[in-house]
Amino acid sequence: MRLQRLIQILFFALFLALILLASYQAPEFLESDALLRLDPLLSLGSMAAARAFIPKAAVAGLVLIVALFLGRIFCGYICPLGACIDFSDSILSKKRENSFEKTRAFRHYKYLILAGLAGSAVFGISWIAFFSPLSLSVRFFGLVIHPVFLFLEGSVLEVLRPLFAAAGLDHIALASVQAPRFNTNFFTASFFLAILALGLIAPRFWCRNLCPAGALIALFSPRPLFRRRVSDACTGCGRCVRNCPTGAISKDFKGVAQMECITCLKCENICPEKAVSFRIARGVRARAPIDITRRKVIKAGAAGMATAAITLTGLRHIHGEEEPRPLKPSNLIRPPGALPETDFQARCVRCALCAKACPTNTLQPLWFEAGVSGLLSPAVTPRLGGCEQACNLCGRVCPTGAIRPLSFNEKLFAKIGTARIIKSRCIAWEQARKCLICDEICPYNAISSRFLEDHPVTVPFVDEKRCNGCGYCENKCLVTGEAAIVVEATGELRLSKGSYRREARRLGLVFNAKQAGEDHAFDGSGTLPPGFEPHR
Amino acid sequence: MEKTDMDRRQFLIKSARCAALGTCIGAIPAITGLTSPAASATPAGEKVSDLVVARGNAREAVRAAIEALGGMGRFVKPGAKVVVKPNMSFANPPDWATTTHPDVVAEIASLCVNAGAASVLVLDNPLRNIEMCLERSGIKHACSAYEGTEAFGVKDKSAFREVEIKGARALTTTMIMRQVLEADLLIAAPVAKSHSATGVSLSMKGMMGLIYNRRTMHMDMDLDTAIVDLCTVLRPGLTIIDATRILSDGGPGGPGKVITMDRIIASQDFVAADAMAVEMGTWYGKKFKGSQVKHIRLAHERGLGSMDTSSLKVKEVQV
Repeated sequence: MRLQRLIQILFFALFLALILLASYQAPEFLESDALLRLDPLLSLGSMAAARAFIPKAAVAGLVLIVALFLGRIFCGYICPLGACIDFSDSILSKKRENSFEKTRAFRHYKYLILAGLAGSAVFGISWIAFFSPLSLSVRFFGLVIHPVFLFLEGSVLEVLRPLFAAAGLDHIALASVQAPRFNTNFFTASFFLAILALGLIAPRFWCRNLCPAGALIALFSPRPLFRRRVSDACTGCGRCVRNCPTGAISKDFKGVAQMECITCLKCENICPEKAVSFRIARGVRARAPIDITRRKVIKAGAAGMATAAITLTGLRHIHGEEEPRPLKPSNLIRPPGALPETDFQARCVRCALCAKACPTNTLQPLWFEAGVSGLLSPAVTPRLGGCEQACNLCGRVCPTGAIRPLSFNEKLFAKIGTARIIKSRCIAWEQARKCLICDEICPYNAISSRFLEDHPVTVPFVDEKRCNGCGYCENKCLVTGEAAIVVEATGELRLSKGSYRREARRLGLVFNAKQAGEDHAFDGSGTLPPGFEPHR
Repeated sequence: MEKTDMDRRQFLIKSARCAALGTCIGAIPAITGLTSPAASATPAGEKVSDLVVARGNAREAVRAAIEALGGMGRFVKPGAKVVVKPNMSFANPPDWATTTHPDVVAEIASLCVNAGAASVLVLDNPLRNIEMCLERSGIKHACSAYEGTEAFGVKDKSAFREVEIKGARALTTTMIMRQVLEADLLIAAPVAKSHSATGVSLSMKGMMGLIYNRRTMHMDMDLDTAIVDLCTVLRPGLTIIDATRILSDGGPGGPGKVITMDRIIASQDFVAADAMAVEMGTWYGKKFKGSQVKHIRLAHERGLGSMDTSSLKVKEVQV
């Protein structure tokens, strides 16, 4: 196996392992977002859109520095999307004219897309989610492949469970496989597969023509230190030209478009005459005659700015300003530690690693609930699961700090909303039926059950100073369909800096109510707590 | 076209064969007599109302309590499959008293293993994320020290089997974990805690953690009646209540007032054990009789055990 393929496979395995390990079981030191941050488009693009230096995303600078010397090796060795495309190309692609001269028609689009993204970033709008190869890959494997695998595993287990039980293999017989469910997963799958399908037109069509991350790296590798050289032994068989994954080799077999070359060394490897070598080169003029002009770049940048301007004037865009009042759905709950909405949307790259990591499956990518610019951004969906009290994974795995990494102690105070009882739906309020599930489940003791005069059962009340917005009440509410208690964004804390704990204290919020003596919900006579009967 | 039809037919025939094979395999546990309900595991079948209250350090108290009941060998026959049902429904640390103390579970497992148990399964259907509950409660770690002992949170429907409850007043049918139905002995090991719907959550209420569909018990019927119905088919052969500390209010999920009691209550009669735990504890700042908890009273009335603690032969042990 060629060295490049081996390294590519190893990086792909690392990529899969990091996604898989983005979970509750992961050790504290593990940075499952490490590969994401290597994507220069994702890292630098978020910084541009958010107008902030993101220290931990600065590692992407390394990729660009390396590109100065070794060219686009990120694309050939590290990028998981590149690996997927190589794999699908091996099935899809047919032999066709592949010289650089014949395949350059669309090459400049990737630079134009990059310019467009830069243009939209001027207004703080980020479309990186649809172009960053790492965001696309993590989203696809985290939201589509992982759940599908678990579903299949669960299906097999379901059939074989009695067999394992009979064989005394309790380990397997009692295993619980619960596949998470995700919003937008069909779209995510289609988008990713469409990119792979571009291989029908040409191998690595995406990388050659469209990928703005590749374009960004290419800008740093017009004259890398390490270059392809063809010796006089070349017989002109054309094998290298036909097999170059990015079609970077000239029809004269000697020249190479350096900015298109991913240094995969395939040409060196397959040359029957061993005429091709990669070595430190001086003097060899690198040619990159791509059909790009300053005018085109300016137009693309302007188009990007226009998309941002249209988005910002859309009715559903959440500005985060007082006036005009944002049309925000009352149940749009962001993860704990999410930055103020405008910053959050600018920084969030929609990789969905937070949603993958979330142990309760409550984090879901949105459609248009938060405007066009909020597409695929994560939101808490309490009906599906509560926000676990002693968990801070979403902030820990976020590559750009759109969700702040909070310690457990800080996270406890990052209030995400407030529960509200819809009395007309509540069976205790409306039908006078005994039900205390919300009170029972509330991890913050924010719900109390009280007797009312002329009402035979206790009914729930929410203490908004204690409610953290975790949504376990909404999750466990027995009412069919929409819950009788719902979390709304009212009272959410969105701090771009500073301590949540201090802010919560300042507001008089009480989330660590452990051992606090409760005002007990005794009945009308004031003698009996819930569930106890009079002595007889 | 013809060829396609043939393929489909062959496919169907093959599918049917596979299904038949699967069914046969599935039926193995049923045919091989593993269906003995846990209830029949009550040793000697005698109606013993003996109850022990042991005070002191958790592990020693468990050991002393079981010793006073005649030793674990009385309950666990060599090669027996034991299921322990602690409360590990919440992802809270032990000092919240919302889950059974890991030391209590560990000691029970140790005693069972020493008595020759083939396997000790610690089972619950937790309310929260399985892994988090197992780890935060400390119970997974506690079990890891004993060969053949392991804790599982079980939620998948296929791990449960439909069981009809004869003579039920409300809950006529439910789905119970297969391993529980096939066990030789079921040990209830709840933590003593308050519960906003049923007053307290002890061994009887804890049986709800072994079934699949709890929602209907809350939603469609009188919860206390349904709990007693369930307890007619899920009767632990041994009940060990962890009252090392109790969650006096704010239960079942906490946070609430935790009172240190340093006590273990053990009995073959789970109604008696539950009644004793109610009477020993202080709930919402008050004292109660076991009969004031509806499901305990109903269980007593239906003959599942005795809530009349004053007529019991109670042995107190200090360690």
